[in-house]
Amino acid sequence: MSENSPTCAEVIETIQDHLPALYFAFGRGRTEMLAEELGRSFDFLTGRERQRAKKMIKEAEENCPGLFTLRRQNLRRLLLQGIGYHHAGLPPVLKDLVERLYEQRLIYVLFCTETFAVGVNFPAASTVFDSCRKWDGREFRSLMNREFFQMAGRAGRRGYDRVGRVYIRIDERYPEQTGFYNELDVEPVRGRLMISPNTVLSLLYWKTDEEIKRFLEQNLAVYQNNREIWQLRREIRELEEKEKRLAACFCPEKDTPSCQLYRLLLRRELNHLKRRKHRHRPGARERREELRRLLQTARKHCDHRICAEAEKKLANVTERKNQLLARIHHLQRNSRDFEEEFQNVWRLLEDLGYVRGRELLPRGKFALELHVQEILVTELVFSGILLEASAEEAAAILAGVDYQPGRDEWVEKCPFSLEHVVRLRKLLLKSGVPEHFCVWSHLPAALAAAWYRGASFDELMQKCSLEEGDIFSMLRREIDLLRQIERAARDDVYLADFMRGIRQLLDREEVALVGV
Amino acid sequence: MKKGNRRRALSREPQPAPIKLDPFQEKAIAALLAGHSVLVAAPTGTGKTLIAEKLLEKILAEGKGAVYTSPLKALSNQKYRDFCRLFGREKVGLITGDLSINEAAPLLVMTTEIFRNWCFANPEMLDNTSHVIFDEMHYLDDLERGTTWEESIIFAPGHIKILGLSATVPNVREIAVWMGEIRGSSIEVIEEKKRAVPLKISWISPSGDVLDEDQARTEVEERREVRRTRRLRAGGSRYNRYNEDFIPYS
Repeated sequence: MSENSPTCAEVIETIQDHLPALYFAFGRGRTEMLAEELGRSFDFLTGRERQRAKKMIKEAEENCPGLFTLRRQNLRRLLLQGIGYHHAGLPPVLKDLVERLYEQRLIYVLFCTETFAVGVNFPAASTVFDSCRKWDGREFRSLMNREFFQMAGRAGRRGYDRVGRVYIRIDERYPEQTGFYNELDVEPVRGRLMISPNTVLSLLYWKTDEEIKRFLEQNLAVYQNNREIWQLRREIRELEEKEKRLAACFCPEKDTPSCQLYRLLLRRELNHLKRRKHRHRPGARERREELRRLLQTARKHCDHRICAEAEKKLANVTERKNQLLARIHHLQRNSRDFEEEFQNVWRLLEDLGYVRGRELLPRGKFALELHVQEILVTELVFSGILLEASAEEAAAILAGVDYQPGRDEWVEKCPFSLEHVVRLRKLLLKSGVPEHFCVWSHLPAALAAAWYRGASFDELMQKCSLEEGDIFSMLRREIDLLRQIERAARDDVYLADFMRGIRQLLDREEVALVGV
Repeated sequence: MKKGNRRRALSREPQPAPIKLDPFQEKAIAALLAGHSVLVAAPTGTGKTLIAEKLLEKILAEGKGAVYTSPLKALSNQKYRDFCRLFGREKVGLITGDLSINEAAPLLVMTTEIFRNWCFANPEMLDNTSHVIFDEMHYLDDLERGTTWEESIIFAPGHIKILGLSATVPNVREIAVWMGEIRGSSIEVIEEKKRAVPLKISWISPSGDVLDEDQARTEVEERREVRRTRRLRAGGSRYNRYNEDFIPYS
């Protein structure tokens, strides 16, 4: 693949006095490709450093045999040249190794995605932006100021660098996508409250009417909305005062034929009606005569510029006022009615038999302990699907809960049918459960089933196009869900044991957490 | 492959600067020790964590408990390791959705989701907790997960003081006033706008030159112009221009 200029080698060449650099790219494949490309012409490590890096890599490999799978052999080679890549697709142990090498200053250029900039502080001498656009799950969009500065701000090591250098690449082929950012334009934080089934159940079960009311009427989104409307109203009141003051400037003869300003308007209209184009329009002649008659009135001799100026100002004030009124209108029309959203979910829960009034029924009490796809999971249990399934099938079904497949992901077909889960989902959708309350995908089923049966991680890798990190987090999420169901089961010992059994088998080897 | 192309930083192995508290850190710590809830907004890398650590030191010395929440599991794990090193393994616990260690410890690191759940279901487990620390509090603005932060702020038991750590946001004061109103006790705002190390943003042109903002804007304009004319020439017909980003009246 030919690279657009400036190529990353050219960029690094330019900034070579300001390393280490974090090179942000949007797309995992892109970080790997760029690292590979740089590795073709650059080698940053001295003999001593290479020995140190080699030693750290060896140690990691001893602790975790098979650390560098075939696919990651390139990373091993690059790390010995002082180049690395880091993204969510890497297995955690490998991410950890890259991070430690970086901390030991054995990586001079690290190609990474946005995740590297959240939380733990890994400062660099400079940060580079391969592009300023990212895929946010739905579309490619430009980075917000907040996102940009979260990443850019990694440049500048305290006590080491006088300034933190940030470089943005101007892509030869897409110059218009070049980002320009200002820290003064960082976006404000807005309230984003969403009413989930668990929120409603928790409020009904644990909180008083008073507390629920306060929650719905005083949350951040409502507060910010009200505050803005209040501020707009205040400004409008001030503008109205100003309007009154300006109106007081006019003389009593304003808008009468003796006023010079008014005469100006009349004359303009007269000239207009004299033109050939308008001359013969119906009523034009009569209007002309009327205008001439009006203009015969004696003209008042005054400094009409005062009135003219006031009029201009007044027009501006009125325009501003109308803008503000439109904004208030917009805010009021688009403000979310949390009371209604709450009522809607409550009604849905009542229809589905989770609650009766404020009282939680068995389903409701079960869902109270769940924090992901509450309704779907509860129904999987109460419909008997989960309990009738073998442990392997249950592992496969639960892996798909809340799973949103990425672009072009494929996984080997599941050895058994999951048709009943699809049917349940359709039924729920038909009975009015919104799509986002029953997110489920058949995709990871085969992987979870195989892992449950004791397959090796390499075998999983061969069954799909997912990367190690994706499989890892999919199974960790399932372990989280299994714990939730176990808790929700309470005295249903059979269900609890069933879930625990699956969990203990899933939580092993590569999928187990290391270092905590 | 062209190897041995050895290019490196001129200044190597610089020594870290000695730890001295910045005025904003001092102010935040003083406000916390005086028993206030505090919202700290400062750029990344200015040392917000240090404020939290000083507070935790004091809480643990007094025999009270604290909760530290972070937005990501990986971050929680990392913080847990850091705190174990700082305060000793027996003093620290970790609770995330898929893992729990030493749940009875006075200092608990958790994901914000777990804290939110405790606020609803087991507030009595927070009886001895004097403070909750929200790391990366600007996650309030997160479309999917912001709700968790909001529910935590609204429903955290009344006796718990809050230390919020946030990246720079223009409306911290507004957030603090809201928190004060909904929780019924005021929140002090400590803002640090200056970065510990200032940033210098530059652009790199396709020919590899380092440009400042004005030069970059000119460069971008020129490149667009070049592409436009190139496309026109390639297209031939003058009507083609209307298909592209050519705006005839601009």
